[in-house]
Amino acid sequence: MAFVAAAIAMLVGIIPAGIVLCRASLMAAVVAYEFITSVMVMVLALLAQGFQRSGLFELAVLLAVLMFGSGLVFVRALERWL
Amino acid sequence: MIARDIVADVLLGLAVLIVITSSVGVLVMRDPYQKLHFVTPAALVAPFLVALAVLVQMGLYENTGETCVALVFMGVAGPFLSHATVRAIRVRQTGDWRLGQDGRAVAEREDA
Repeated sequence: MAFVAAAIAMLVGIIPAGIVLCRASLMAAVVAYEFITSVMVMVLALLAQGFQRSGLFELAVLLAVLMFGSGLVFVRALERWL
Repeated sequence: MIARDIVADVLLGLAVLIVITSSVGVLVMRDPYQKLHFVTPAALVAPFLVALAVLVQMGLYENTGETCVALVFMGVAGPFLSHATVRAIRVRQTGDWRLGQDGRAVAEREDA
């Protein structure tokens, strides 16, 4: 139960970063996006542990891998073209 | 409640505290460079605490291993991603991430 509560608390905790994502400049929004992605990896792991579903840990691992690739592609696109 | 539950709760509480304070830091800091400093605690320290909490709760088990794999990926990706982000911010602001021969960025030279 503590793991689920921690996941919910983290989801509430990313609200300030969500405000930055919606309202700040483009590059500040990218920083907020990276922050939120990092937190979401933890949220998925916490929910998998909280509900005792080992298979759901794959989602956390997958998001951690995709965070690297997508983040780099996104940042490079912003640097050169957008 | 046994001791390992208490330890896991404390670790999770610390992780949540780090995420919330970092999130507020991302909100209140003025520019993207400053905001980026608050991504690292949430991307490295908090996941480490979460992995530790899972380890304390479950012991050496499949869940612990998968959490550690995610932690390793985040640990490897974080510095590269931060560097690429800072570089992109600088390129968008000054036109080039390098300084010119006079020690000033391209945009600074054009402003002068």
